[in-house]
Amino acid sequence: MATLPQLIEEDIREIDGALNDLLTKSEATSALVIDKGGFLITQCGEVRRFDFTTLGALAAAMYAATQGIASLVSEINFSSVYQQGENFSLLVHNVDEHCLLVVIFRAQISVGAVKYYSLGTISEVARQLHSAQSRTPGEGFDLSVLNIADTADLFRKKQA
Amino acid sequence: MAIINQATKELQVKIVYYGPAMGGKTTNLVKVHENIQTAQEKGKLVSLATSSDRTLFFDFLPIEAVAIKGFKTKFQLYTVPGQVIYNTTRQLVLRGVDGIVFVSDSQYEKMQENVESFANLEDNLRTLKMNLPDIPYVLQYNKRDLPNVAPVEYMEFLLNNREVQVPSFGASASKCEGVFETLNMITRMLLHKFINESGRKPA
Repeated sequence: MATLPQLIEEDIREIDGALNDLLTKSEATSALVIDKGGFLITQCGEVRRFDFTTLGALAAAMYAATQGIASLVSEINFSSVYQQGENFSLLVHNVDEHCLLVVIFRAQISVGAVKYYSLGTISEVARQLHSAQSRTPGEGFDLSVLNIADTADLFRKKQA
Repeated sequence: MAIINQATKELQVKIVYYGPAMGGKTTNLVKVHENIQTAQEKGKLVSLATSSDRTLFFDFLPIEAVAIKGFKTKFQLYTVPGQVIYNTTRQLVLRGVDGIVFVSDSQYEKMQENVESFANLEDNLRTLKMNLPDIPYVLQYNKRDLPNVAPVEYMEFLLNNREVQVPSFGASASKCEGVFETLNMITRMLLHKFINESGRKPA
């Protein structure tokens, strides 16, 4: 399976810029980019209000389940999933092969407006991810600094 | 499909606990959540289960390991539903997996289920265009505290009888025995894999 590229500060800055622009235009509360495996890549807006790590994992699973349903009704793809709430609503939209855009917005805001502005954001995020993908491998991060040979166990059990 | 985010100096890794129904996958996550040293970051354990406490979609536990040389290593632990009918769901959860813990049930009468579940894992990975030998995985022989368990050698013969043998651990997840040993081993294997892969790239 192809993997998401390594992301550098420039990528995150560009993606954050696009998300902040979306929040300003649509008046949404928070926006995040997640990968389809459930990892949180970056988030903007009211970041302390929600547990984005868990939200990312659940939203990715929900989207994946929706794709399973799409294939059962002979659709190639449902490109977005919308959940309407009483206080907050949620829109999950496909970005590219690897990523999803998740927008959380107050229920009073029209989903149409959020969808409309999201389309521009999706193009910008996809473009930046594509540019990260095509970056030369030499710019990749050297993980050999992670010398774990002499470290103690990474996860420790509490002493009784 | 781990994520390396240089901007935030984060490495995010997905580990899936796989195995037959009622084998103790969820118990492994519950025990990690209950017993992990609190100095380390741990998230909330999310269980999408039926009313009878069987996993319906998955359990999810985000945890953060000690920072290594300035790197935050974030681990996302998932379980899959073990019941045969939930195969589509298992495939969804396996998407983007970096490492696998296969939790088998040591009781004699569960051996066939263990073998079938392992074969199902290989099938599902193939469906996702992945190959088990390319993915770090460990075996856990759970429920060693029960009276009617098969010898470890027999389980090794059934489940670990391949060209390359993988690490295996006896465990009693309900007593939190072998749970952290298993988690630390898969973590270690994953980090070594990433280091080796990054080392092959030109500087």
